[in-house]
Amino acid sequence: MTLSVTRSGRNRKEQPLSASVNGPRPWLTGERRRSLTGWGFLLPAALLILVFSFIPMIQALFLSLQTGRGAGLKFADPLWTNYARLMQDETFKLTLQNTFIYLIIQVPVMLILALVLANLLNDRNLRFKGIWRTAIFLPCAVSLVAYSLVFRTLFAADGFVNDMLSGLGIIDAPVNWLGDPGTARFVIILGLLWRWTGYNMVFFLAALQNIDYSSIEAAKVDGANAWQTFWRVTVPQLKPMILLTAIMSTNGTLQMFDESWALTRGGPGYMTMSMSHYLYEVSFLKNPNFGYAAAISYVILILVAVLAFIQLKVGDKRD
Amino acid sequence: MRSISKRTIATLAVLLPLSLALGACSGGGDNTGDAGSGGGDDNTLTVWTWDPTFNIYAMEEAEKIYQKDHPDFTLDIVETPWEDLQTKLTTLAQSGQTGELPDIFLMQNNAFQKNGINYPELFSPIAADAVDFSEFPSAVTAYSTIDGTNYGVPFDAGTAVTALRTDVLEQAGYTVADFTDITWDDFIAKGKEVLAKTGKPLLSGQAGSSDLIMMMLQSAGASLFDDDGKPTITDNATLEAAINVYTQLVKDGILVEVNSWDEYIGTLVNGTAAATVNGIWIIGSIQSAADQSGKWAITNLPKLDGVSGATNYSANGGSSWAISANANVDLATDFLASTFAGSTELYDTILPKSGAVANWIPAGESTVYQEPSEFFGGQKIFADVVAFGADVPSNNTGAYYYEGRDAVSAALTQIIGGADTASALAEAQANVEFAMQ
Repeated sequence: MTLSVTRSGRNRKEQPLSASVNGPRPWLTGERRRSLTGWGFLLPAALLILVFSFIPMIQALFLSLQTGRGAGLKFADPLWTNYARLMQDETFKLTLQNTFIYLIIQVPVMLILALVLANLLNDRNLRFKGIWRTAIFLPCAVSLVAYSLVFRTLFAADGFVNDMLSGLGIIDAPVNWLGDPGTARFVIILGLLWRWTGYNMVFFLAALQNIDYSSIEAAKVDGANAWQTFWRVTVPQLKPMILLTAIMSTNGTLQMFDESWALTRGGPGYMTMSMSHYLYEVSFLKNPNFGYAAAISYVILILVAVLAFIQLKVGDKRD
Repeated sequence: MRSISKRTIATLAVLLPLSLALGACSGGGDNTGDAGSGGGDDNTLTVWTWDPTFNIYAMEEAEKIYQKDHPDFTLDIVETPWEDLQTKLTTLAQSGQTGELPDIFLMQNNAFQKNGINYPELFSPIAADAVDFSEFPSAVTAYSTIDGTNYGVPFDAGTAVTALRTDVLEQAGYTVADFTDITWDDFIAKGKEVLAKTGKPLLSGQAGSSDLIMMMLQSAGASLFDDDGKPTITDNATLEAAINVYTQLVKDGILVEVNSWDEYIGTLVNGTAAATVNGIWIIGSIQSAADQSGKWAITNLPKLDGVSGATNYSANGGSSWAISANANVDLATDFLASTFAGSTELYDTILPKSGAVANWIPAGESTVYQEPSEFFGGQKIFADVVAFGADVPSNNTGAYYYEGRDAVSAALTQIIGGADTASALAEAQANVEFAMQ
């Protein structure tokens, strides 16, 4: 079916342009053809997303209204039991707090860093650009588990970081990095920064290619210094991309699982556990409570949606 | 040409995702045929278990023994790490796909009640006339018994031991006898001495892990739950005593906390710590340090002071074989009954190589258990461990063992950090009660 659509779409080019304007309009107008071609291409992916993503999401919504251990789940009475339970769950509140600490510190720092790096790399006079770019992007091609293991080794009690710091005389006794809630969260944030800054930088680099260099040149001619050029000329033109990366990073951090699981196992206590990690624990490590886990996943969904909405509103200056 | 290639690309663009999706489906279909043993041939059993040098090795030896009488018999052993195994079981039970289960799987003793109570549809009961459960210590069969029905054949014993570096003790003027049948107060006093004279802490452990606390609890026959399964984290004198010992150990530097299991093993094989308290299976890791051969010994545990029912014996870990609901039950039962619950030959073979100490009491009478171990300075460690095992008090894990253990771990972290013991434990109690709602 799609084949025929493609063919007719191709034929269109051979017809005189005026064909669709003059005379009796054929059913398959140029616009319709184009639209159908588009749908034809979208259809397979859309169907797959529907089956593997949207239908499970709706099923999860029903699941979140059910309670019971094991496979014998029944609709709860009242229906919102699982959501009411969330309000009283101290562990969930703690994981929520942890996730927001990661979000509030990591996302802005990462985006600013990515923006600065992208600007440095975009410098026309910079040599070995390819090497720098690859080096900064490479971390996000590394397997999550592999990098978590490296970080764990680096920050072990007798690890490289402690050796280095005591060698430099900055600390007297080894710091128990992953054993203390504060430093453990710091290590997780550091890991996130290391892995994802390059990824966001690539988005900014791509956006920078689209900025007309003449606008920057014009600013320079007008006597703007480097900071003014960056802040008043480059950044405003990057705004859509900043918005996109902010939403993607917020989404990613709210759903963070790997770092919490592989770096600290959520410890010490539950002090570094993320919401998704808690969801996994409720489903698979403790007495399985899938209805409750589904409710947690919906809270994450709502948080992502609300934050994305706020960011869109803040980022969109059109009236 | 160009148009054809464009068309081809368009076709590919449409077909590729679809074929991938269909491929995934058909792949799923194939798996059903492989893993589901019900439809397979009558002489093959599928087994899920996790450790190539330990329980997989034991299964392979069991297969050889069973093959002597049943030449057509084969095992299909699928290496499945415990965490994956638990996730698979949960997923299969939750989605009702019990047809995907293997015939036999190994289960951590501490997780048996949880899985058995939540997902009875995963298990087949093991007939008491096929396997004589009286030949196992009752503390061990209790893990896999639900409402009076046995669901598991015990495999390895988690009998706890104190393993000590004799050469380090010697420098401090001690021998193993000084650490045998002692109390934790003695242990702390001697630990300070060892630390002062050799600079080595006696113990090491994962920060935020309450394994040691749980061993102390069981050594006094106590647990985090009462007989009705209600959590007893507050007003639990044994737990408080255990936590006090633990905090004292950390405060005096006798127990060094590390952050991961690998680091913990590292402290043993690198000689950072001079001793460890754990299940006997820990000797598998200890023995990996070949240069320390002859420098280790094992003895029983220190016991808690001033706690009623306190003993010098406990357990940590251990596992049992379960027969799935999807199994060829007759064959699986007969196989387990004639190997893990009926073959001294099997235990004699696997003991020296893997250190899998039997729970099956008749195996302990074998001469292999009386042989001295070179690594442990000629000590007859296995005979000792079997003797310890008989004295381990039974305790109640309950379905919420992991909830209780992790809540106590979190409390322990807070207490070490300076929080008030009573309020930290009250919070743990509240969290477990909440999880049980």
